[in-house]
Amino acid sequence: MSLLSVAGVTKRFGGIVANRGISFDVAPGELVGIIGPNGAGKSTLFEIVTGFYRPDEGEVRLDGLRLTGLSPDTVCRRGIARTFQKLRPFQGLTVLDNVMVGALTRTRDVRHARERARELVGKVGLADKAESHARTLSTGQRKRLELARALATEPRVLLLDEVTGGVDQRTIPELVRLVRDLNGGGLTLLVIEHNMRVITAVAQRIIALHLGEVIADGPPDAVARDRRVVEAYLGQAYVR
Amino acid sequence: MRGVTPAVVFFASAALAPLVVRDAFFLDSIVLILLWGTTAAAWNVAGGYAGQISLGHSAFFGLGAYGAAILGTRWEISPWIGLVAGAGVATAIGLVIGYLSNRLRGPYFVLATIAFSQVLLIGSSRWRAFTAGSEGIPVPFRPGFWTLGLVDKRVWVWIMLGFALLAYLIALYLERARRGYQLAAVREDEDAALSLGVPARRLKVVAICVSAALTAACGALWTQYVGFVDPIYVFSIDLSIRFALAAVVGGLGTALGPFLGAALVTTVETYLRAEFGGIGGRFVGSYLIVYGCALIVIVRWMPQGVVGWIGERWPRRAAVRTAP
Repeated sequence: MSLLSVAGVTKRFGGIVANRGISFDVAPGELVGIIGPNGAGKSTLFEIVTGFYRPDEGEVRLDGLRLTGLSPDTVCRRGIARTFQKLRPFQGLTVLDNVMVGALTRTRDVRHARERARELVGKVGLADKAESHARTLSTGQRKRLELARALATEPRVLLLDEVTGGVDQRTIPELVRLVRDLNGGGLTLLVIEHNMRVITAVAQRIIALHLGEVIADGPPDAVARDRRVVEAYLGQAYVR
Repeated sequence: MRGVTPAVVFFASAALAPLVVRDAFFLDSIVLILLWGTTAAAWNVAGGYAGQISLGHSAFFGLGAYGAAILGTRWEISPWIGLVAGAGVATAIGLVIGYLSNRLRGPYFVLATIAFSQVLLIGSSRWRAFTAGSEGIPVPFRPGFWTLGLVDKRVWVWIMLGFALLAYLIALYLERARRGYQLAAVREDEDAALSLGVPARRLKVVAICVSAALTAACGALWTQYVGFVDPIYVFSIDLSIRFALAAVVGGLGTALGPFLGAALVTTVETYLRAEFGGIGGRFVGSYLIVYGCALIVIVRWMPQGVVGWIGERWPRRAAVRTAP
């Protein structure tokens, strides 16, 4: 039984093929890592799943229902939330208001949304920053804010674009724990991550992309040892 | 009552002033402050809350003004109906501009709004058979409330106050309701808002339409108040800037800001015109230079507007979600 299914997705930008015939299924409760060198098509794939890009071919389904062709806000209401690689908090709003925007997608009641937002702000460890403007936060705090905001929309599948990118070494374990807890609570996650140590530690399965194609899909250690993955990352000379 | 005390004081003084003071000049000032305050508040719905900066809002003002004037002079239809008709046309045009706002962002949107008002300016100047061209239309004075022929300026104060309160309540709604939070998200980052399930495009279009309708209503009232409408004034960029300016000076994205901004701008302008712009004076028009300098000073030292400036010094009272 698959919750999220990506079938034969192809996306071209002029002459460049960013995604070529990508297919995979994600089961409920799974945490799937997506790796690949720069330009492999990871972010393009996220944009397609979340409805920001329309694929030239193929389609995305959530629980059997077609998402392709829907607007990003509708895709979110259907149950897919995301964070951005280049963080995009609502700078002029407070941390709490940021998260409330997400919560208000599920409730019409402002007071209820505020309670829910306060809960989530606490959960990601930003309780003492609740009334601060988002522009005053550090990168690590912004990552957590985006996480809380996305969670507030009560997603069935959460897409995280670079959980640890640009964050200092000390805060990485905290973020990793947070992601693991979410998955432990039953949430299905699709995670783009450059840090191989992090992704092999949290993911049950890894999909490797290279030049827009899936070159490996399987358990972390198998993918990390895969000949084509090592080649894509380090070049032919390193393949033993 | 939290946070609305200053507004209650502001609107109550405007409502009660006519009972105390009978001076025509003073009452005229109140009418104009409320009128320009309402247009600024209307502009603020699109520009301040939704972040859709328009410098073509005079298009809507002019549509309202011409709607009331043409219906009134040609078919003797009540300006109240003209007001509604003008607001209806403005809403339709707002739909088009709202659609544009989903295609054009930032400066491109601003340019498109300017172009829109200019098209109406040229159209109304040339289409003499329908609009009387650049000579404009004098609106005949027909006594009565239904025809808005009112000698008593106190009644004008109260009529304008009604519209001002309507504009204020819309802004208050935008500060506290679900749609307000969502609109603020759209203003801050449209893509991020979309990713959180906010129907950004629809919200922007609705905000622009509400803003347009209210601006048109003000145009209709203004025409009846001054008794004359001509394209050069009502479709001018100057007028569009006046709406935006009062909102910026008062405080973008705040409910009372546009009214305080309008009070400040209108008072400074009137004072300077009386002081420096007297007919026969040696430096006619020099008041505009002083006026410009005064605006530079205000924007330099109160970049968040009057409401933001007071809020910084009085942090408990004005918890304001200001635009950056």
